[in-house]
This record gives sequence, C-alpha cells and structure tokens, in this order.
Amino acid sequence: MGERIVITGLGSVSALGVGIAPFRSALLAGTAGIRNLEKIDCSGLRVVIGAQVPHFKAADFLDEALLPYLDRFSQFALIATKEALTDSGLTAGQYENAAAIIGTGCGGKETDETTYSQLYRDGRSRVHPLTIPKGMPSAAASQVSLQMKIKGPVFSVTSACSSSGHAIAQAALMIRHGLVDVAIAGGTDAPFTCGLLKSWDMLRVLSKDTCRPFSKDRSGMVLGEGAGILVLESERHAKARGADIYAEFAGFGMSSDAGHITDPSVDGAARTIGLCLQDAQLSPADVQYINAHGTATQANDVTETAAIIKVFKENAASLAVSSTKSMHGHALGAAGGLELVATVLSVKEGFIPPTVNFTEAGDGCDLDYVPNEVRFGPIDVALSNSFAFGGLNAVLAVRTFQ
Amino acid sequence: MSLDIETVVISAIATQKQLDTASIKRESCLQDLGVSSLDAITIVYEVEEAFDVEISNAELEKLETVGDIVDGIGSLLAGK
Repeated sequence: MGERIVITGLGSVSALGVGIAPFRSALLAGTAGIRNLEKIDCSGLRVVIGAQVPHFKAADFLDEALLPYLDRFSQFALIATKEALTDSGLTAGQYENAAAIIGTGCGGKETDETTYSQLYRDGRSRVHPLTIPKGMPSAAASQVSLQMKIKGPVFSVTSACSSSGHAIAQAALMIRHGLVDVAIAGGTDAPFTCGLLKSWDMLRVLSKDTCRPFSKDRSGMVLGEGAGILVLESERHAKARGADIYAEFAGFGMSSDAGHITDPSVDGAARTIGLCLQDAQLSPADVQYINAHGTATQANDVTETAAIIKVFKENAASLAVSSTKSMHGHALGAAGGLELVATVLSVKEGFIPPTVNFTEAGDGCDLDYVPNEVRFGPIDVALSNSFAFGGLNAVLAVRTFQ
Repeated sequence: MSLDIETVVISAIATQKQLDTASIKRESCLQDLGVSSLDAITIVYEVEEAFDVEISNAELEKLETVGDIVDGIGSLLAGK
C-alpha cells in the first residue's frame, strides 16, 4: 500500500473569512457567508447574492510589490498555502522538495475578462503584458512555488468542482509511492467576474435567495470563492519531526460518469464512494460523517442522496451527511479543499458542521443532514464528496490519527 | 506637448518597481533599477498606452537606460 499519509497543516480563504480560525468558528456556529454581492461591475446582472471573501484586500496579506503579478485566484492560493505551511510547522528546508498540486476550475478569469473587456468592449488594440502570466490556469500553482520556494512536482489540476479532490488525490499518490514526503494540495477559485456570473446564471442553477442543500424549498447553488489548502505528509516524515497531526488521509476514489456534461449520475457517484472505501480499506459501517457535495441544486441533492443510500444501505440511516456549502457557498475548484479542511476539523475535534438554512427535507432527500445545529461527538472516519460537471468524481476519506 | 515623456517613463518604472520617482534619473541604467524583461515590457506597455505609439521588439531590445526610452518615444512622436 506504500506510505501512510497524514494531514499536518490547514489553510483557508473563504466567505467565512481569511484563515482557519474564522472558518472553524463559522462551522461551529452555523454562520453562513452568503451576502449581497459587493463590487461587481456588470450591467443587467440577475445574480444578487454570493459567498465572497468579505471585504478582501490582498495587500493586508501579501507583499504589495507582488500584487501586479497575482490574479485573485493566485492571491487566495498563496494566502492559504502560507497559512497551511505555517500551521504544519515545516521549515523552508523541509518543504523545499515538496509537491504542490493546486486545483482550479476557472483559472485567472478576472485577468482574462479584464483583457477581453478592454479588447472587445472598449475597442482598445493593446492589452496588458501580464495577461498571460497572471491569467494562465497554472498561475496559482506557479506562484505558490515561486513565493514559497517549493521545487518539487508543481502543477494545476482542473476538473471543475472536483479539481481540489483530484489535486489532493494526486498529492496522496505521490506520497504513497515515495515520490515526495510532503505535498501541498487543494484548490483555489475566484469566479466573481461578470462573464462567469452571467454564464452560471444562464445554466439556471443559481439561487436568488440562499443556499438550502437537501431542503424541499431549495433554490439552487450560491457561488463562492476562496482557497482550501492542506499539507499532506508521509506519516514517517511527520513523526520523525514530531509534527502535530490532524488526521490520517485514509484514501480516495476517482471515477467518471461518462454520462452527461451537466447531469450527475447515481451510479457514478456511488461507484466513486465505493472506490474510496475500498482504497481506504473501510467498510460502510466504519463511516460516521460525509461532507456532501450538497450544492442545493435539484439534480445534485437527490442524486447524491441516492448514491449514498446505494453504497451504505442499512448504514445510511445512522450516517450524518451535511453540506458546508450552505455556509461557504460553492467555491468550485476550491470547494473540495475547503470541504476537506472542514472534514479534517470534524475528525480532529469531534464535531459535525451543520447544513444551515435547512427547512424541510426535499423529496428523495431522506438522510440525516445535520440540520442547522452543529453536533458534537467523536468521528472516527469521514468522507468528503465532490461530483463535478462533466461527471468527474472524487471522494476523499480521512480517519482519526492513532 | 501635453505629457512630459520623461515624467511618464519615470512614473511607469517607479510603479512597476515600487521605487521613489526621485531615485530614477534619465541616466539610470534599467538593469541597475532591477528592471527584468517582464518589467520592461510592462513599462513599455504603459508608455505605449500613454502616447499611443508602438515600440517594436527590435527597439525594445536596444533599451539600456531611462533616457533610451524617453528618446525613443520622442523620435516616434516626432515621426508621427
């Protein structure tokens, strides 16, 4: 099976604030970061709410000289990576040869859209020379490498809303097979641009009021932004340096529906959860909590519920399943990273973050969704689901470290 | 002329390199100011925008000092 993997550092930027502390507090209190949109220059925009990082000023967290080179999605990735590395206690020398695998669904869209707007709307003929280095989808990964002096395998992974999940699985594979001892992995996205908001709106999946996963009156997803980054490490390496260990990274499942470009599939989701359990050598009865993909769209919530029931059968009734997207929104390529951070905190500290805004269970939604109130109690094993557009699935498992 | 070329060039360099404008002279060597090739194309972009001129790649490669940029823009404008 190769090296056992542990998680030793966490970093997050989200609608719940910058840093793990506000993220954790909000999960415990059941506070949502969904608000009216701030600062969007976009005429005729029908989307009025989102889960934006509140009053975000990059200069409060990053060297001002760097900012001209950093798209918003790179800023988030860098802030979360710095936090995760500091949290891990690793020295610069200990992470110099680490991997850094950063998922993103969108890339540097703020940069790209600014350029396209100047070209196509304003009729300008010349665009900013940093458009490519700032906007390229791998820019966030490159900036993490550049600024933190990380020289191992570094690249981006993109699979829409499963980008983080696939990035983390990739990192785990590298550690498991002895390629690296340390990997920084997760995802980042900054989708609050005019073009993306309008494009999402046209898919008719965005809520006009709030995010109510699994509820009867759910009205769609609420876009979010941010970054969720974790430090994964071989148990051997972590123990040798006396690291504080949050949890064991127990395994992952990956699969593709090969079905439909937007519709989710019960079989695909169930197969991925099953593959994850198999990889982590777990049986359904071992799992107490699932951090659901839980987007609050009509299609996802019923499909995901059916997939969980298909895998867990009689154990499904005693499972706690919550969607923290009800608090931090759907941060797309960052979602799986933020949600794995939530899942790790859950296992480490023994609490289940609630599904907030829950009213009444929707048709076909008949699991325990931990409505509105945090629940305390030991969690030995938890899963984090990501089921992306295009049928790309990733499920991750964490276990109490013993 | 509405815009003083030297002021625009120095201001573009100062912004890009986070330097005090007073520390940048006409004779200053771009390399000494820490101007990388990526900085140079960004500075030239700002100047091109300000004066609506086009600096060719060949001309860009010849630039060594602040004065080179100022004079280059000056002759481009004179030829307009």
